[in-house]
Amino acid sequence: MQSKQYSVKVYETTIKDEAKFIAFFDANYTLFKDHLIVINGELSSTVESYLKTKKLIYMNNVNLPKGRTRKALEEELRLERVETDVSAQIAEDKLEKLSVQLKNNLTVLDDMIRSGRELNIEGDLLLLNRVNSGATINAKGNVIITNVVEGSIRCTGNFMMLTTSPKANIVFHGVEVENTLLKNRLNRVELKNNEIIITPVLKKEINWA
Amino acid sequence: MGIVIAVISGKGGVGKTTATANLGLGIALNGKKCVMVDFDIGQRNLDMILGLENRVVYDMVQVMDGEASVKQALIKSKVSENLFFLAASQTKDKSVLDSKKVQKLVTELKEDFDFVILDAPAGIESGYEHTIEFADAAIIIVNPEVSSIRDADRAIGILDSKSFKVKNGEEVAKYLIINRIVADMVQSGEMLKSEDILEILDIKLLGKVPEDKGVIDASNQGKPVILDKKSIAGQAYARISARLCGQKVDMKDIEIDDANLFKKIVGIFK
Repeated sequence: MQSKQYSVKVYETTIKDEAKFIAFFDANYTLFKDHLIVINGELSSTVESYLKTKKLIYMNNVNLPKGRTRKALEEELRLERVETDVSAQIAEDKLEKLSVQLKNNLTVLDDMIRSGRELNIEGDLLLLNRVNSGATINAKGNVIITNVVEGSIRCTGNFMMLTTSPKANIVFHGVEVENTLLKNRLNRVELKNNEIIITPVLKKEINWA
Repeated sequence: MGIVIAVISGKGGVGKTTATANLGLGIALNGKKCVMVDFDIGQRNLDMILGLENRVVYDMVQVMDGEASVKQALIKSKVSENLFFLAASQTKDKSVLDSKKVQKLVTELKEDFDFVILDAPAGIESGYEHTIEFADAAIIIVNPEVSSIRDADRAIGILDSKSFKVKNGEEVAKYLIINRIVADMVQSGEMLKSEDILEILDIKLLGKVPEDKGVIDASNQGKPVILDKKSIAGQAYARISARLCGQKVDMKDIEIDDANLFKKIVGIFK
């Protein structure tokens, strides 16, 4: 297929007064003879016959693909760029928030929590050392402590995993957990249907990865 | 350049001052130059236990305020020429202490002595914080009972957060002395075992000192119990002092009473 591409000069108008229109075209015939005349709205027979006699190429009620002025093009490009910038910014923000959340979500500690120390954890806590008598841990997330607890634990997460801790003061969702119930090597304390349930964590269950 | 050791406990009455006096003397008897500083301002006791109460002319607060020089204020021990003592003020209170003044005094003493032993006041208030602030190491004294251990735990926590060395990213060496152990009570389970104490506090054991009635009498007479070669507590302090001076002395298990063991053996043959 062979094709050629042209830019065409178009004179677009709407006719309100036929006599004025014909007079205007007569006066500017030299200007309009190379133009494509597009008439929007009603096209009366008198105007049509006039255009035919003048051998002007005309069309009625067509929506031509229009080019844009340079200014408009530039403005459009600018808006587009801003939009992509904004969406990139939003995506970045989201990613950052997510990574912060991930970072904050799990706190891994190997410190001995000595008497008088108070830990306030927003997310989950994995503690690999002792909590001594007189220390307090407040956690909004889940708590796993793999060593003996003798201090206080306040947890409002979904579950806790604790070793046998006869001297600890454990409050889970505002309810004190009886120490004697924590009789296994590792115990899971969780809330199910508004009831605190304590089950032993079996060796084969632990999958740290 | 010497080493600064703070003797701390958290709880009062566990034997800090007695331990300071005995360890200071023990170190001096091992041939090292040692100075003891009583930081318990307002409640000085160390001078009495050392038997030097009538020799105090200037105290450490006067030295820090520039009213007297360190040389003027240092009191030489009657027992060893390696041992010196700097008394606390009995009339002032703990609020007179100031970080800069304490640092200046401690650095000055460090240059002249091998060991600078600071006797901390009980509690964890400003007096205690100033004592530990510029210490290179700490000796924690506990009794085998829960309240003493919890207070010591708290004191260690403060040591780990407020010490000058820790703030500069270094670590303060911490050593434990378990004082006033009664072998019978440990055996019967009435008293905490040293393994349990070490598990709770998680620091190195420097030594165990058995309960000894001779300690009170020795303190009253102003002759530290370490001078009594027959005293079991004195022997324990001598072993600990030797360890501090770099000698290898095996840990003696004082939780097994010799007399008790003898009784048991006799019981078998009955």
